[in-house]
Amino acid sequence: MRIMQISRILGTAHCGQRGLGVLGLCALLSSCGLQQDIDVELPAYPAQLVVECYLEPGKVPQLTVTETTEYLADPSPSLPQQVQVILGGPAGWRDTLRFAPALDPITQKAYTHRGRAPLQARPGDVFTLDVTDEQGRHLTGTATMPAIVPIDTVEWKFNDQPEAQRKAYVLVRFQDPPEAGNYYRFQIHRDSVSKDPEVDYNPQDRLNNGREFTLGTSYEFAPNDTLVVTLYHLDKAYADFMQSVDDARGANGNPFAQPAGIKSTVQGGLGVFTVLSYQRRTVVIK
Amino acid sequence: MVTLSGRVLGEAGILPGATVAVPVLSAGVTADEQGNYSLSLPAGRYQVVVSFIGYQTVKRDLNLRNSQQLDFRLAPAGNELGEVVVEASGTLEQKQQSTQMSVERLTATEAKLLPALFGEVDILKTLQLKPGVQNGGEGTSGLFVRGGSADQNLVLVDDAVVYNPNHLFGLFSVFNSDAVQSVDLYKGGFPAQFGGRLSSVVDVKLREGNNQKLGVTGGLGLISSRLTVEGPLKKNKGAFLVSGRRTYFDIFTRRINQLNEGDPDFNPIPDYYFYDFNAKANYTLGEKDRVYLSGYYGQDKFGFNSTGGFNFNFNWGNAVASARWNHVFSPRLYANTSASFTHYKYEIANKLDQFSFNLSSTIRDYTLKTDFEYTPNERHTVRFGAMGTQHRFGVGRLKAGSTDGRLSFGDDVGYDGQEGALYATDNFRASDRWQLEGGLRLTGFRSGTDAYAGLEPRAAARYTLSPKLTLKANYALMYQYLHLVTNSGASLPTDIWYPSRLSVKPQRSQQVSAGASFLFAGGQWLLTNEVYYKWAKNQVDFRDGAQLFVNPDLDAEFLFGKGFAYGNEIYLEKKTGRTTGWVGYTLSWTKRRFPAQRGTSGINNGELFYPTYDRRHNLTVVGLHQLSKRVNLTGSFTLSSGNPTTLPLARFIFQDIYGDDASAVPVYPNRNGYRLAAYHRMDLGVVWKMKPTRWFTESDLTFSIYNAYNRRNPYFVFFDQVKNEDESQVIGYRARQVSLFPVIPSVTYNFKF
Repeated sequence: MRIMQISRILGTAHCGQRGLGVLGLCALLSSCGLQQDIDVELPAYPAQLVVECYLEPGKVPQLTVTETTEYLADPSPSLPQQVQVILGGPAGWRDTLRFAPALDPITQKAYTHRGRAPLQARPGDVFTLDVTDEQGRHLTGTATMPAIVPIDTVEWKFNDQPEAQRKAYVLVRFQDPPEAGNYYRFQIHRDSVSKDPEVDYNPQDRLNNGREFTLGTSYEFAPNDTLVVTLYHLDKAYADFMQSVDDARGANGNPFAQPAGIKSTVQGGLGVFTVLSYQRRTVVIK
Repeated sequence: MVTLSGRVLGEAGILPGATVAVPVLSAGVTADEQGNYSLSLPAGRYQVVVSFIGYQTVKRDLNLRNSQQLDFRLAPAGNELGEVVVEASGTLEQKQQSTQMSVERLTATEAKLLPALFGEVDILKTLQLKPGVQNGGEGTSGLFVRGGSADQNLVLVDDAVVYNPNHLFGLFSVFNSDAVQSVDLYKGGFPAQFGGRLSSVVDVKLREGNNQKLGVTGGLGLISSRLTVEGPLKKNKGAFLVSGRRTYFDIFTRRINQLNEGDPDFNPIPDYYFYDFNAKANYTLGEKDRVYLSGYYGQDKFGFNSTGGFNFNFNWGNAVASARWNHVFSPRLYANTSASFTHYKYEIANKLDQFSFNLSSTIRDYTLKTDFEYTPNERHTVRFGAMGTQHRFGVGRLKAGSTDGRLSFGDDVGYDGQEGALYATDNFRASDRWQLEGGLRLTGFRSGTDAYAGLEPRAAARYTLSPKLTLKANYALMYQYLHLVTNSGASLPTDIWYPSRLSVKPQRSQQVSAGASFLFAGGQWLLTNEVYYKWAKNQVDFRDGAQLFVNPDLDAEFLFGKGFAYGNEIYLEKKTGRTTGWVGYTLSWTKRRFPAQRGTSGINNGELFYPTYDRRHNLTVVGLHQLSKRVNLTGSFTLSSGNPTTLPLARFIFQDIYGDDASAVPVYPNRNGYRLAAYHRMDLGVVWKMKPTRWFTESDLTFSIYNAYNRRNPYFVFFDQVKNEDESQVIGYRARQVSLFPVIPSVTYNFKF
């Protein structure tokens, strides 16, 4: 019964068709009658466990365990049975998460397992994940909480268009730590983090190590917009995973892209296990 | 013995491949790429016959007491009405008699008769109709020769390398058919004077220009127009040719943008156009010296300027120039010495308010090259020479900044490289039946402190079983010191060239091929069959998610593997008569293996896989029929196995962090495990030559129908979501096949005055 419930929750989650890198081309060709449905026979691919777990200090740990399904199968997510999830942390901390499928009202994300108490975590703390299911599949992962990189300033500037077309770009500045190999995720939500972000990209310090970063947007925000600006500091494994997910989604429908495998942060399956480390600011642009 | 030597010329320049024969001695040679010939004969009186298809044969009685230089000028074989003459690419007999195998020659005149996409004649695309040559995808001009990738082709235009021979993401090649004389494609059995790439040599020769009278030719097409001016610099001494072409999509798109200005729902269409110029001049300084200057300059320009202040410009193009000096030391020895320059650059420039972002990459070469041909006697033809190139690899340059100076970062990754080669080869006519050619090429490359050298043996043999049947075999080893950094199957302008350095070793291939040529029906038909096996090491690919742009540690992103290709090519060809054409069939396999390395599981988990240009079967039929003196009918048909592609076998739901929509993420466990549906297409064309008018001495209308029966050929396949009526819910997934070009009729008006 509960499995049916979480399947429905995950199935109801709006699945955006991201990654059609040449969506415009597809639409154009479709309108010209140059697209058609075809039958494709794909070889069998054994289902693998998939985990998504983003730990956050001060929040009760929760995660989703699903499994891969054949691409053309029914869209309902396939849920593995009798899954046991154990989280480990500093000083021998251990928590066996309960199977409690629900929808997080803040993030609007479904989860299958939830902990019992808010997480205590500081930068540098190491956490472990251990997932098993009734088929004997075993997934493990380790994650270290990155340091928080503070946002120095959030600025905006309006263009000189007439009032009705007046738009602003936003600049966020922060100082990259001196050591090389820092990865970030920059998001701007309008009004609430529950909605799809207006801006979302993943810079790194390969060309700007140890210097001030300026991240910006195009002219896209109207006067009196409330913006939630978030700067995540990622570890390399999570950044690689995000890149591989983008590449994989981008390759479906893009004849110029080379399909890439998923670089999971976990072993024994697919997915991500990480500790979020971010700073968030809310501004009203005027 | 005496030597008769000189050049064979046509109305508009040299005639490579023309035959100079002395029938009474059963002796003959073909003119080389510069139109030069050299024939060793006993002293005496002979009738010399000079011929080339499409031209009137010249017969001249000569009394040869001493070595003599003599140029032959052939007149076109056309009549007063100026019928379309197929200037064939050498006779079938010449092809059968040559030691060289695995070579395809095509003239621009032949290519112009064949139907073409949007009516844009493209000599490289026409080469895709030859056996052993695959295309990289619908409509693209990339050549994939005997299992080699497009970057393994050495593309030369009048001795200078062209690094990116494509416009518009490979849909058109950079070669304007009005400026091109001919192209030779070497698929194997590479002569020792060529090196530097593994799989083929595409040797493009530009026309020399008419040294008799000033003339203008041009064409108005569906998407571009062309204009060529040529004429004598000094009559019979020298000539020039200048040719230009430009597309005009942008003129229409700008007009559409203007019409929709102010419409908030309208997204302006970006500007795109390309243009190119070719120029060539030649001058005869004296009996022993001729000089040639050639040049190409072309640019693709893509631009978008929004009213919101965001500017995006993306430009790319080649600049190529060469100067060649042809010196005849004696009738038995002559030399070609050339200096060339080539430069390819792409540049992306973004600007928003005070912020700017620029990304660019370049490759630039200066090359000096000299080639000698020495004919000590009638049994030996010795060629030797040397070349040296100074490369500059501007692998990536990025600059980001703001006018207030608070934002300023970037990088500039570049390397120098030096490449050199020495070679010698001897064509030995051992007997009437045996002809052997052996050569050696010593090559070297250096970039910084990393240096590599290679010895490249080349060998070829021909055995004449009967005047109608010859057997041929050859072997060639090739090194490639330059690598194309690309993560795409297509030819993108952002592909970068990278030198062999640090852990990136030179690529190496070896190829053996053998074949038989059978001339029948009075020499009208030639049937050839060739088998080949090619094996290569240090083939390059890139790790998943490789950071290819402005990466000072780019060599760490390479993966190395082995390649194997083998196949059989059957080719039936007819070049004379009112109906000409060819049928080619290739049965081939191309495989690659990239084992686990550098912390990765390799490609396809280390298992063999087929690259996207692997085709098991490939059949081409090309026909040209001269219906009347004014009308030529042409057609081509292609049938090939579908190309391998990578499809995801599974997916998982990915919800991501705050606020992001959930999405289906495809899982790609293997490379190119799925094969698209077979590809087949028929193109039809009519060339209607019009009567000369007061203004135009020649003009024609060329009608083309690309994809005549409107086949929906697969371009790529993707998986799409099926949603419910209000699009709020995903109710299933489906596979969608995308095709690129439906039936496309076009007409081109060509003129000459």
